[in-house]
Amino acid sequence: MARLLDVRDLETRFYTQDGIVHAVNGVSFHVDEGETLGIVGESGSGKSVTVLSIMRLIPSPPGKITSGEIIFEGRDLLKIDEEEMREVRGNRMAMIFQDPMTSLNPVLTIEQQITEALELHLGMNHQQARRRAIELLKMVGIPAAEQRIDNYPHQFSGGMRQRVMIAMGLACNPRLLIADEPTTALDVTIQAQIVELVKRLRDEIGMAIIWITHDLSLLAGLADRIIVMYAGQVVESAQTADIYRNPRHPYTIGLLQSIPRLDEKRRERLEPIEGVAPRSH
Amino acid sequence: MAQAQLEMKPGVRVDLLPPRRHPLTEFWRRYRRNRLAVVGLVIALLFVVTGIGSPWIAPYSYTEQNLDAVELPPSWAHPLGTDDLGRDQFSRLVWAARTALIVAPSATVVGVTLGLLFGLMAGYFGGWVDRIIMRLSDVLFAFPGLLFALLIAATLQPRFEQWLLQFEVTKPWVRSGYVEFLVVITALSAVGWPGLARLVRGQILSLREEPFIEAAEALGIPAHRILFRHLLPNALPPVIVAISMGMGGAILAEASLSFLGIGIQPPTPSWGGMIINNFQYWRKPSAPWMLWAPGLIVAALVFAFNFIGDGLNEALNPRDQR
Amino acid sequence: MNAQRANGNGREQPLIRVEGLRVYFPITRGIIFQRHVGDVKAVDGLDFEIKRGETLGLVGESGCGKSTTGRAILQLYRPTSGHVYFGDVDLTTLKGEALRRMRRRMQMIFQDPYASLNPRMTVGGIVGEPLEVHGIAKGKEKRERVQELLRVVGLNPYFINRYPHEFSGGQRQRIGIARALALNPDFIVCDEPISALDVSIQAQIINLLEDLQEQFGLTYLFIAHDLSVVRHISDRVAVMYLGKIVELANRVELYEHPLHPYTQALLSAVPIPDPEIEAQRQRIILEGDVPSPTNPPRGCRFHTRCPLAMDVCREDPEPEFKDAGGGHYVACHLVH
Repeated sequence: MARLLDVRDLETRFYTQDGIVHAVNGVSFHVDEGETLGIVGESGSGKSVTVLSIMRLIPSPPGKITSGEIIFEGRDLLKIDEEEMREVRGNRMAMIFQDPMTSLNPVLTIEQQITEALELHLGMNHQQARRRAIELLKMVGIPAAEQRIDNYPHQFSGGMRQRVMIAMGLACNPRLLIADEPTTALDVTIQAQIVELVKRLRDEIGMAIIWITHDLSLLAGLADRIIVMYAGQVVESAQTADIYRNPRHPYTIGLLQSIPRLDEKRRERLEPIEGVAPRSH
Repeated sequence: MAQAQLEMKPGVRVDLLPPRRHPLTEFWRRYRRNRLAVVGLVIALLFVVTGIGSPWIAPYSYTEQNLDAVELPPSWAHPLGTDDLGRDQFSRLVWAARTALIVAPSATVVGVTLGLLFGLMAGYFGGWVDRIIMRLSDVLFAFPGLLFALLIAATLQPRFEQWLLQFEVTKPWVRSGYVEFLVVITALSAVGWPGLARLVRGQILSLREEPFIEAAEALGIPAHRILFRHLLPNALPPVIVAISMGMGGAILAEASLSFLGIGIQPPTPSWGGMIINNFQYWRKPSAPWMLWAPGLIVAALVFAFNFIGDGLNEALNPRDQR
Repeated sequence: MNAQRANGNGREQPLIRVEGLRVYFPITRGIIFQRHVGDVKAVDGLDFEIKRGETLGLVGESGCGKSTTGRAILQLYRPTSGHVYFGDVDLTTLKGEALRRMRRRMQMIFQDPYASLNPRMTVGGIVGEPLEVHGIAKGKEKRERVQELLRVVGLNPYFINRYPHEFSGGQRQRIGIARALALNPDFIVCDEPISALDVSIQAQIINLLEDLQEQFGLTYLFIAHDLSVVRHISDRVAVMYLGKIVELANRVELYEHPLHPYTQALLSAVPIPDPEIEAQRQRIILEGDVPSPTNPPRGCRFHTRCPLAMDVCREDPEPEFKDAGGGHYVACHLVH
C-alpha cells in the first residue's frame, strides 16, 4: 500500500507561564492508504496534540510545532502556507471530535454547515450541494434526511450529531479521517452504531483513518495497527493482533491488565499501574 | 472502632504531591501577572494613605480662607493655586480624599452586606422569599442609579435632620455635617445592593447544584452549616471582585452627588463639590487645573479599582489552575 | 455491628429493600402561575433488594435513571412514591434529625472527583467534617481519625492540610472515599466512581473498593455504564432501561445467559480487547435512540428499539418483572 501520511520526529511544545510543556516529544509514525491506525493513550499522553499538529490546529501562542516533518500525499504540511493548508483541511483530510455539540455551530442549520464546505472546496452550486448533503446524511444513516437537513444541531441526539459530524467530515471525500475520541461521550450501544458506521464507510469509500481513544478494547475490532502513547512519546507500535497477544512495553502490558474484561472467567484481582503519570514539563 | 486498628496496607503506594506554595504567595503570584492590576493597587494605596494622612500632608486647613490671595496661579506656596475664596486648592484636594475614603467604603460595605444577605436568602430559600427580593431589586434596577440616589438623598436629608433635631444629644450632629455623610452613604447603599444580591443569588443557585453540596447533604451536615461553610466561601470570590469595582463606582457616585449639589456640602471638601465650585473657571484658560485636577483624580481611582477587580478575578478564579 | 457481620448473622435479611420506587421530576411552565405540564419519569417503579455484604451492580445508558435511583435510596431525592427500607426502617418516612442520624449508616461516593470536594476546604476539613457534625470526634482526636482514614485509603496522612486542587484525579477520589468511610457506614452508593478517571487509575480505585468491602463488611450499590467493570466488581447485576429494571441476576448468569433483548444488545456492544474474539462476535446493533422519559412508549418501553418485538409488546400492560428461575429476574414477554 502507498504511504499516505508520514510523521517524523514531531515535537510540539507549549510555552506557558510555568515553563515549557513538551506535549509531543519526538513522535514518528505513518499511515498507509486505506489503513486504520489506532492511537491509544491516557489524558496528557499527547495523542490529541499529535493529531492537532497534523491538522496544524495547535493554538499559537502558547503552542508551537518546534521540529519534525509531516509528509501528507508527498508534501510536508509544515512547509506549506496557511492558504494551501486550508485546502488540505476539510478537502484531503477531515477531523471529527469528541463533543459533537460544541463542534457544530448552534445557530446554523445542518444544511448550511455541510453545503458550505461543498461550495467552497468542490465549487458546487447551491442545488448540487444540497443534493449531495442529503446523500451524505443518508449515507451516515440519518432517517428522513430530506427533512432533517433543515434542522438545527440541538434537534439531534448525541449519536445523531456525531453522524452529522461524520457526514460533514466526509463531504469532500477526504483520503484521511482523523477521529479524536468520537465515541467517548456516547453510550455503549450508540458507540457500537458509530463504530459500525465508520467501518462500513471505510470499506465503501476506502479512506484511511486515525482513531484516537483511551479505550484499548475498542481498537481490537477496528484498527489495523496500533500505537501506544505515554507522556508525549510513542512507547509501542505494532499490528493490532500483536499488541493484544504479545505486548512488549510495560505500559501496554499494564494497560491491558488494568482493565476488567467483559468475558472475564474468574474474578481476578486487577493489576493497576501504580503511581501518577509524570507531568510533561 | 475497627478503623483505628488498621495499618496501612503494604503495596499501597503513597503518591507524591508537588511542593507546597503558601496560598497568599500563590495569590500574589497570580495577581501580579496583571500589570494594570498592580498599577491600580498602587493608586488605591496612594488614595488610602492620602485620606488617612490628610492633616499631615495638606499644607493648609480646608477651611482656611485668604481673601487677599484669591484665584492665584500655582506657586511654591500654593502648588495648585487658590480658589475664589483664597483656599489652597491642593489642600482641599487632599482633604477631599478623606471625604471619599469615608463615604465610598462605608457605602460599599453597607451595600455589600445588604446584597450578600438578600442574595443568600433569595438563593438558598427560593420560593416567595426569592420572588419578593428579586422583584424589589427589579424595581430598583428600573431607575437610573444616580437619579435614584439623588431622589433618596434629597428626600431623606430634611426629614433626617428634623428627626435628629428632636433630641438634645443628636442636635449638634446636624450642624457638624455628619448628617450629610449618613445621607449620602444611605443613598449609595440603597442603590448599590441589588446588583450584588443578584450576583450572590446566581452564585448560590449554581453552587447548590455542585456535587460537593450534595455530598455535604449526604453526610448529614445541617443546613446552616452548608450555607455558611460550603456555599458562602465559594460564592465570595466574585463578591470580592464586585466590592472592588463597587468602590470605584461609589467614589464616582459621591462626586456626582456633590456635583449636583446634593450630598456633601461645602465647606467640607469633596471632589465633586470642587468641580462644580470651579466650574466658573471653565472659560478662564489661565486656570484649567482647578477643574481638571479633581476630575482626573476621580477618573484615575475609578480605573484603578476596576483594574484591581480584573486582577482579583484572575487571581481568585479556582477553575483557572495555572 | 462488625461482630454481628463476622458471625454471619443477618445474611438472610436484606440490608436494603426497595419497593415500587418512583421518582418523577415535574415540568412546569409559566413565571408567576406555574402550570404542571408533565413529568420526567426518571425512575418509574423499581423493586429489588441488596443483601448485607454484597455488591449490587446497576448498569444502564445515560438517562436511564440509575443515578437517580442511588440518590433516591439515600433520600437525596425524595421519592414520588414507593418505599426504601434500610433494615427495618422505612427511610421515606424519615425527616430532619431522624434522617440525619440515619445518614451515618449510608454514604455515597461520587463520579466527579473534582466537583465533589469543596475547593475551599482542606483535606482534613473535608474528611473531618462528618466526624464533627455527628459528634463522633473533635480536636486532636478528630485529626488522628482523619489521618487514620487517609492511611486506609492509601493517602499520605501528612497531606491533611492540603487543598483538593493539589491532588490528581485518582488521589481526589481516594479523599472522597475516605470522607464516605468517616462515619463507618454499612452501605455505600458508588455512583460511577471510576468513569471520570484515567484507565490506569481505575484499577487502583476498584481494588481499593474491593479491599475496603472486605475489611469493613460494606454493602455496595455500584452504579456504572461500563459493563466490564460492573461484571468485575458485582455479585449481582441489575440492568436499567428508561426508568425500569429490565433484568436482574447474579453476575455469571447475567453475562453468560442474558434473557432480555436489551441486555443482550448491551453486552454485544461492549468491545473485548482481543482481535480474534472481536472478529467472530455477532453484534446486535440497536436502531435509534432512547425515547424520552417524559413520555415513555406504551407497553414494553423497549419495544421501539427491540429487534425481537412482537405485537403483545406494543400493548399495555408492560411485561411483569418476574423470577425466571434461580433468582434471575426479567421483564420480557419472550421469557414469561
